[in-house]
Amino acid sequence: MADRKEFLTTIHHRTRAGRYKPTHAPDVPWTPKDEPRKEERIEAPPARFLEELEALGGQGLLAESLEEASEYILDLAREREARMLLRWDVEELERLGVDEPLREAGVEVAVWRDLEDPRQIAARADVGLSTAEWAVAETGSLILRNGKGMGRTVTLLPPTYVAVVPEERVLPAIRDVLEKYEGRLPNNLCFHTGPSRSGDIEMSLTIGVHGPGDVHVIIVRES
Amino acid sequence: MRRTAQRRDGRDRRGVGIESKVEGFNERSRRAIEDEALHAAVEVHSKNTVNNRNRALRALPDAPELRERAYHIKQETMANLDRYLSQMAEAVEARGGNVFFARDGEEVVRYVGDLARRREARVITKSKSMATEEIELNRRLQEEYADLGLKIVETDLGEWIAQLAGDTPSHIVAPILHMSRHRAAEVLSGVAGEKLPPNVEDLVAFARRRLREKFLSADIGITGANFGVAETGTIVTATNEGNSRLVTSVPPVHVAVMGIEKTIPRLKDLSVFLRLLSRSATGQKITVYTNMVSGPRGEGEADGPEEFHLILLDNGRSKLLGTEFEEALYCIRCGACLSVCPVYRQTGGHAYGSTYSGPIGAVITPLLKGDEEAKDLPFASSLCGACAEACPVGIPLQDLLLKLRRRQVDEGLASKAQQIAFKGFEGAMRSPAAYNAGAKAGRLFQGPLSQRGLDRKIPGPLKGWTDFRELPPIAERSFRELWKEGF
Repeated sequence: MADRKEFLTTIHHRTRAGRYKPTHAPDVPWTPKDEPRKEERIEAPPARFLEELEALGGQGLLAESLEEASEYILDLAREREARMLLRWDVEELERLGVDEPLREAGVEVAVWRDLEDPRQIAARADVGLSTAEWAVAETGSLILRNGKGMGRTVTLLPPTYVAVVPEERVLPAIRDVLEKYEGRLPNNLCFHTGPSRSGDIEMSLTIGVHGPGDVHVIIVRES
Repeated sequence: MRRTAQRRDGRDRRGVGIESKVEGFNERSRRAIEDEALHAAVEVHSKNTVNNRNRALRALPDAPELRERAYHIKQETMANLDRYLSQMAEAVEARGGNVFFARDGEEVVRYVGDLARRREARVITKSKSMATEEIELNRRLQEEYADLGLKIVETDLGEWIAQLAGDTPSHIVAPILHMSRHRAAEVLSGVAGEKLPPNVEDLVAFARRRLREKFLSADIGITGANFGVAETGTIVTATNEGNSRLVTSVPPVHVAVMGIEKTIPRLKDLSVFLRLLSRSATGQKITVYTNMVSGPRGEGEADGPEEFHLILLDNGRSKLLGTEFEEALYCIRCGACLSVCPVYRQTGGHAYGSTYSGPIGAVITPLLKGDEEAKDLPFASSLCGACAEACPVGIPLQDLLLKLRRRQVDEGLASKAQQIAFKGFEGAMRSPAAYNAGAKAGRLFQGPLSQRGLDRKIPGPLKGWTDFRELPPIAERSFRELWKEGF
């Protein structure tokens, strides 16, 4: 595209104009410095993750086994009187073995593969279930990536959302996550942190605006 | 029609985007100051935001270092912007995305309009984007592509309510902080066809239901971009409601409109900015949804956009590169400078008459639009420097405001009084004789003004200054005279 070349050439000339060298700002004092100036070390990422998540109004569980995780999901589905749970089509959730108990409890289980109208099913589901590629202790975030079997709307449209994350995927900080990708990201990567919220009307905090307001993360520690 | 109509309260509705007239800050601010409800809302919001921000940054031990790194990353980016933009474009195209370089708003309107025609689009959902506000994309698409009958829906709760009310956002982060919940209920009742109670939870529940239909039926989703990572060809949006993730996940087409200055070079730089942005904006460690899009849906995926278009918008930005105003491009739109600004806290955002309000708005509006159009804005500041202190990327905002004032004088744009004041001050400061003579003359001629019991007001062009201030009498002997006499 000829236009692009022209566009970039103009910018090139302007950046090289060199009429002005910005100062070596910031030279004004910033933020209270009563803490030592060093980066925080996070000792126990899973515990810190749950702490951060709960501070945001999410709910967390450190499960000692897949069975414990599965029971939690079953109880939650019952409590929410869910009629349909929609889950990602990934191996970890197959291993979780929660589909059968859910169906026995009268909850329809839809799996994100070969669905006729996936969008409508996601819009109808009461509970969305996924794993996460990583979790960040510093912020209480889940890192969700796109991929076959990993519908984005599964984590977005149902009012209740549950993620099951193996303990070893909980990393201390955002930086650690970005380092994992070594300069190449999947086409979509989302940092999802707690329940959807808005303070737009009179700064009054409201939960569950467009995304799920009811967020649960189960960290599984398998011996 | 919506944008130019008189508002319910009869106020002037001119000056919404950068495209419209923004002159008249003085007049609008005078009216805003009289609006007590507005003043109270802005004050509460500002105080809360400042407190939240301070708390969040205090808990971040390396905050000052991060800020310094952010500044230097931006500085390096701007010096090589052509290279990074080109890298960004190649990375997006390598993943099957489309990239369009737009010199101005008109080119964006053409591109999106033609795209909408090709896709036979009816419904467009949008998530908050200051760049599209700046170019008034919604209005222009609806006017210039009227035959398409486009329904364009803002999906950020505040932006949606503002759109329904025929209003514009008054704050970068909190678009309807100028609106009470009673007014919000009134606006939403209008679309609900029934009276909704002024209860925030009910209003939000209604918005969720109604906007859900829009999300699911949209043909195109438009977002802005908080950051664009050149290395990976990624646009990053930060929202709390989840609307941006919906807008980029459900419709078959995603268009991102990004100002060229939002570029950051490397993925690792992103963690620096993410740690600063939401802490400075709302005091959160990170927004609920920080969504990164690097291309369309992959093979075998059942959702995500089939087409991804990235529009890189200049609209006057590149003119600032390499100039003394370049630092204005470092802004990450967190709104921290608004909350601490004594002028903004009195007037609210609409008084600025521009998409961008507060100190950063007073800087970039004249820079993008020209001095003549936004003459008042560099003067909408007390130069106290609170803005620069609050800025998470260290933009020396008050210096830029001063430079803009200077530029007006150089261009002969400033009023005669301002020119005389600038030149006279400069002359007096350079010549001790002139300074002394001036000081003496001041004492002689303050005349009746200095007498007690009188209303101490200066007449003429400086009247506004003394309307709200006490003018102290000039001391009988100046400091210089006292110094010479050895006290």
